[in-house]
Amino acid sequence: MHIVVCMKQVPRDNSVKINSDLSINADGIEKIINLFDEYAIEEGLAWNEKHSGKLTVLSMGSDEWVEQMRRALAMGATDSLLLKDASFAQLDTLAAAKVVAAAIKKLGDVDLVFCGRNSTDDESGAFAPALARALGWAQLTYVGKVLDVDPAGKKVTAERHLETVVETVTASLPAVVSVIKDINNPRYPSLLKIKKVAKIQPPVWTAADLGVSGLSAAATISSRVPPPPRPSGEIIDGPDAAAKVRKLVDKLLENQII
Amino acid sequence: MAGVLVYIEQVGGDVAAVSRELMGKGQELAASLGGPLNALVVGGDVAGLASQVVALGAATVYTVSDASLATYTTDGHVAAAKATVEAAQPALMLASASFQMRDFGAALAADLDAGLAVDVTDLKVEGGAVSAVRPSHGGNVINTYTFAAGRPVVALVRKQSFAEAAGSASGGTVTSLPLPATTMRTQVNNVAPKTGAVNLTDAAIIVSGGRGLSDKDNYYKLIPPLAEALGGAYGASRAIVDAGWVPYEHQVGQTGKTVSPKLYVAAGVSGAIQHLAGMRTSRNIVAINKDPEAPIFRVANFGLVGDVNEVLPLLTAELRQRLGR
Repeated sequence: MHIVVCMKQVPRDNSVKINSDLSINADGIEKIINLFDEYAIEEGLAWNEKHSGKLTVLSMGSDEWVEQMRRALAMGATDSLLLKDASFAQLDTLAAAKVVAAAIKKLGDVDLVFCGRNSTDDESGAFAPALARALGWAQLTYVGKVLDVDPAGKKVTAERHLETVVETVTASLPAVVSVIKDINNPRYPSLLKIKKVAKIQPPVWTAADLGVSGLSAAATISSRVPPPPRPSGEIIDGPDAAAKVRKLVDKLLENQII
Repeated sequence: MAGVLVYIEQVGGDVAAVSRELMGKGQELAASLGGPLNALVVGGDVAGLASQVVALGAATVYTVSDASLATYTTDGHVAAAKATVEAAQPALMLASASFQMRDFGAALAADLDAGLAVDVTDLKVEGGAVSAVRPSHGGNVINTYTFAAGRPVVALVRKQSFAEAAGSASGGTVTSLPLPATTMRTQVNNVAPKTGAVNLTDAAIIVSGGRGLSDKDNYYKLIPPLAEALGGAYGASRAIVDAGWVPYEHQVGQTGKTVSPKLYVAAGVSGAIQHLAGMRTSRNIVAINKDPEAPIFRVANFGLVGDVNEVLPLLTAELRQRLGR
């Protein structure tokens, strides 16, 4: 069985700045594996261990991302693959999904793809469904528990954790599964394993290798601004906690907030 | 390609509030695009719903009714929507930004090679081109995307972004379309309500606790009673969810839920940027923290400097007395 986990590198927090050309500036913020993707990696590892096959961690990005891909290798991924091309930088999520789909098709023998439910920077959650459609595969999104992966019967059964309901759904393999945070506890790679993978260079596939061209973003960014500041607040003063509490409740009632 | 098509969601046989909001905004957008406002209702038996949607101002309500569509599946509902898009040729398609609609909308946009905007908070049309405003980076960046005319756009809209349709007897019609032959690659075995479900995203009042509460026992001793006194739900910071005090279901922030209630009370929450990402658009924020320098005070309408362990029991008692709960 061959499992692919899609992984994105993101800034640890979102205290980003906006450049004059409207690109995002995350300089000086530590880069990490997108949190939801860490859960996807762990889920992929667990099922790969059960079915003893191959797990490829796949990323579309720059050389800067290799360090985080090595972290996934140290966690236990058996293979890595970096999709890198100057033309990829301007793509939107739907176009990026087409590139990744081309790579997965080229790998040829993939049964199951795990993704995080969304990246913590762009936050759209569109990648996994777009990838599934580009591949022509089944999709299971917002998965909080994978109940069974059956490569022989070509089936995966999982719980989708939506806002108010839990759906139990069986999908045919191959399939794309996106996972939420609650699904597992990602392992920490040991120092020994981190050392072991420190020099691995993932193979690189370019747009030409994948035979993709003519892709573009559907929209242009016409404005990008920080959020409007919140109106300045009021500190509730008083001689003691009880007086402050009374004053706070007065304010909430006066302003018809409660 | 002209006009707007709204995907109608249903709650217990009625049109969901968010769909009424989309019909309200859709009217204005359709006029700007120089086309009709149409709607789409997909399900097992949708005749009753269709007449409700006519009353919301749709020129044509398309229905795709099939026993296999009674429960949502990506393949079934996307196939129904594609058949409708072919018939209606909309320039803009609107649905909500719920998890199910993200599963649907992204798949539909991919199939149609359409533009896609997710978690949209505002929309406008200028010179035939659709612009969508959406926050990213935990609300720290507000993006406006402008889509080139000539390619359809799918916009998944955050609820409560627009006013609901007033409702008018518009003389619209209902057109039933057959579900095209579709391979269903998924099968829904069961749909169960979440046990002890806390739909934080729908709550009007939320009381959240953080590390300032010292331990799990204190969280449960102080936060749920205060939430109950206010008639609200209770949330938590990532720190205490990761520490195992409170289930993930309650987490507010970048890797939890994004909420926008009428009142958000942050008790013993310092206000890390990841937490602010999930609640900074709340209409009113009350912060209670013993550290006057805590970042949470910078977004609060009312700040109370004090130890939550002392303040919260007093606040709960005061509210019970004043609100008669």
